[in-house]
Amino acid sequence: MVPTLKGRWATRILLFLWIGVPITFLFSLFVAGPDSARLPLIGLRYDILPFQILSLLLIVGLILDPVYFYIQQFRWERDWPFAFQFFFSIIEFVIVLGLVWWGVLDFSRPRADLHSSESYFLYTLHFAFVFIPSFIAVLGFIQIFMIRWRFKSGEWGRM
Amino acid sequence: MVKFPILLDIYQRGEGPLKRVERISLPEAGDYAIGRVGDNQIVLDTPEVSKHHAWLLVREDGIAVSDRGSTNRTYIGDSEVDTSPWDGALPVRIAQFEIHLVPQTSAGETRVNVAQENATRAVSSNATPSAPAAPAPRGQSIEVALNAPSAPNETRFPRNIFKGEIVSAQEIKASEFFAGETTYITVGAGLGSFVWADHLRIFGVSTGEIRAIGDAVVPYANYQRLCRNSQIPPHERLRSNSLSTPDNIWGFPGYASRETWKDLKEFRFSGLKHIFQVFGEASLAQTFTPRSGEVFKSIDKEAERIGWREMFVAGRVLGIRKTNDERYAVAYRVPEDEARAGVRERVMIGKFLHISTGYPATRFTEDLQAFKARFPEEARVFNAYENHEVVYRNLQSNPAPATVVVRGRGIVASRIIQRLYEERAKNKGITIVHQMRNPIGKNEGYRYKRAQRYVYNHIENQAFNWPKACWGGQLLRETERASPEERVKIYEALGGTTTADRRDWRNIIQLGLGDGWYKPVFGHFETLELVKTDQGPKIQMKLKAQRNQPPVEVVADYVLDCTGLIGDISHSPLLRDLAETYKLPRTLGVGGGKIGGIFVTPDFEISALRNGNGRAYAAGQITLGGPQPGVDTFLGMQYSALRSVDHMAVLGAPHLSLFGPLRSFSQWIRWCTNATP
Repeated sequence: MVPTLKGRWATRILLFLWIGVPITFLFSLFVAGPDSARLPLIGLRYDILPFQILSLLLIVGLILDPVYFYIQQFRWERDWPFAFQFFFSIIEFVIVLGLVWWGVLDFSRPRADLHSSESYFLYTLHFAFVFIPSFIAVLGFIQIFMIRWRFKSGEWGRM
Repeated sequence: MVKFPILLDIYQRGEGPLKRVERISLPEAGDYAIGRVGDNQIVLDTPEVSKHHAWLLVREDGIAVSDRGSTNRTYIGDSEVDTSPWDGALPVRIAQFEIHLVPQTSAGETRVNVAQENATRAVSSNATPSAPAAPAPRGQSIEVALNAPSAPNETRFPRNIFKGEIVSAQEIKASEFFAGETTYITVGAGLGSFVWADHLRIFGVSTGEIRAIGDAVVPYANYQRLCRNSQIPPHERLRSNSLSTPDNIWGFPGYASRETWKDLKEFRFSGLKHIFQVFGEASLAQTFTPRSGEVFKSIDKEAERIGWREMFVAGRVLGIRKTNDERYAVAYRVPEDEARAGVRERVMIGKFLHISTGYPATRFTEDLQAFKARFPEEARVFNAYENHEVVYRNLQSNPAPATVVVRGRGIVASRIIQRLYEERAKNKGITIVHQMRNPIGKNEGYRYKRAQRYVYNHIENQAFNWPKACWGGQLLRETERASPEERVKIYEALGGTTTADRRDWRNIIQLGLGDGWYKPVFGHFETLELVKTDQGPKIQMKLKAQRNQPPVEVVADYVLDCTGLIGDISHSPLLRDLAETYKLPRTLGVGGGKIGGIFVTPDFEISALRNGNGRAYAAGQITLGGPQPGVDTFLGMQYSALRSVDHMAVLGAPHLSLFGPLRSFSQWIRWCTNATP
């Protein structure tokens, strides 16, 4: 990949909307307990926590993107190998876990719910469900729908 | 002033060295026709020579060469010529023949030469019958016939119909040359044209609306020849990325995953390494590059899918003009077997024009050119892009010690060194002298802003021709937005000759340095002489002294010049005529001041050729120095094709869709199932 800063942000938001949100929605139905809120009209129970985690991932990513772009400036090719993308995605998740452990989400529900080992397992499972398809999309699947994406440094739209 | 008689040596290039087949003398001024059939004064009888190939115009004050619209063209040295004065410094090349002017040092000496040459035959520009030459087998013979010349037509096609800047479409349609009209015409029919036509087809245009005019129906014919000569046989890997796929406009699946898939189907799990290469590219694993044979096969398949044969028109494009109805007229000459009542000239009219004619010539550094011209029979000096198998054959068949000078530090030099290394398995006496302009220290690689290029063994390493971000990242953005002057600076900072960081190549260098059969030398060669030694003739080269260094002298058996191809568009008569007629702006050449390619907008439009609603675009090497650095690469051609096709789609060009996500996806499914677009 050869993203620019704008392209990094654009691709991140694209993946958030088209992969992150739908998968998180399904995951939130799966983890919903008997006390969870109900969806209007359909009445299915869902959990808001996966959406909070996904949003944290997005925010951490958007903040780290300028750092990645700065690192790119020291690379002759101005590229970002897939291996880097893979590695730093995991770093981002670890940062999110740290934030949760530190208590950023404590306002939303009892600490015991957020910090049980079962919860941390579910965070990781959720991350894997979102991360794996996102990474595969970046490897080339995006191009099937967006032929100009690779020439536009990761931005959407026409040339 | 020309002294008569003029002596010409005609050499023929076979598999081995050039062989002199004839010495002829021209006794007086006149027009001498060169061609395959008997009504020429100089008959070169092989199928590659056209029936009436060229004129040799001999005057009291000089000689000129004029091509007569031949299929395989006429060259002086490496430059294709239409009509050009000829001073004899470089030979005239026609198919596998070379015509050398015998130097007119002094009258006496010339006479001695003549006397020594029993084979010298006088050629008269007047009709003076002489005994016919002994018949030689067809395909090899050269005859000098003595017929009366006819004057060359001053108003040759297409100048007889292309008089001004704008030509009348009505007149062309009424003429015998008219070959039809279409919407999209691409000139060149090489890879640039193919990728452009592929985009058009997938964006919705039918085959009937597209025509690709060029020499060979196989779009990669020229590229494949260059690959083969520069030692990339089908199983060797190109310097190209997995996602640079001229057969697939999406770049997915790339060549790496296809190769992995092929391996897995045959239970070769080692194939997974290609995927890992893409994943870990550059940092964890060596960059993946596809095998040339696989790329060619994939292009064949795509050509079949999009109906390339229906769109292809065999012909050599001679001229292009704007028409008075906001279109373009393309004049070309079809091969002899497609002549209509003896007429081979055609003009086709189209609304949207695309020009992608590629590299006009291979480059020979001047000293090597001069050496070749002086010693045409010595098959010792080659451009790496020429067929030079004879060198490897001789190295094998004659297991004596031999020194090969490899000049240049690019990727081709690396490949040639690899090939010589392979030959060393059979002939341990091969020594490689690697001539480079100057040494480059570990920390002396090119710099651009905060980054610096890696250097190994005085050679800068880079995965591809340009840094990766030149094809769609930060560096593409920067060049696209820069002014022409700023672009030159960016190109100078990013360019330079590089090779790929391949482990096997490094090992070869390490081995060679250790065992002493590989030696880098630095500097320009000052002199190049043929010397007689006990082991036969050798090439003696003297290098200009470097600072604080004694001058170096090398005695070599072969010199392989790996300094590349020439991209100067003035080597192509078609482009020179086009640039002169419409005063096309040119890009600034790298190195300051020198003229570069045709100036195009970021949409690859040649804006100076805009004709009302008609649009003209260019792609490939001829746009060098423009908005995108890697124009002569697979991915660069995909980019320029996408830009220009998108540009036409926005203008509302017929049957071009805007190609949004849904159409893109459905067309991709069609590609995967090998269904027509």
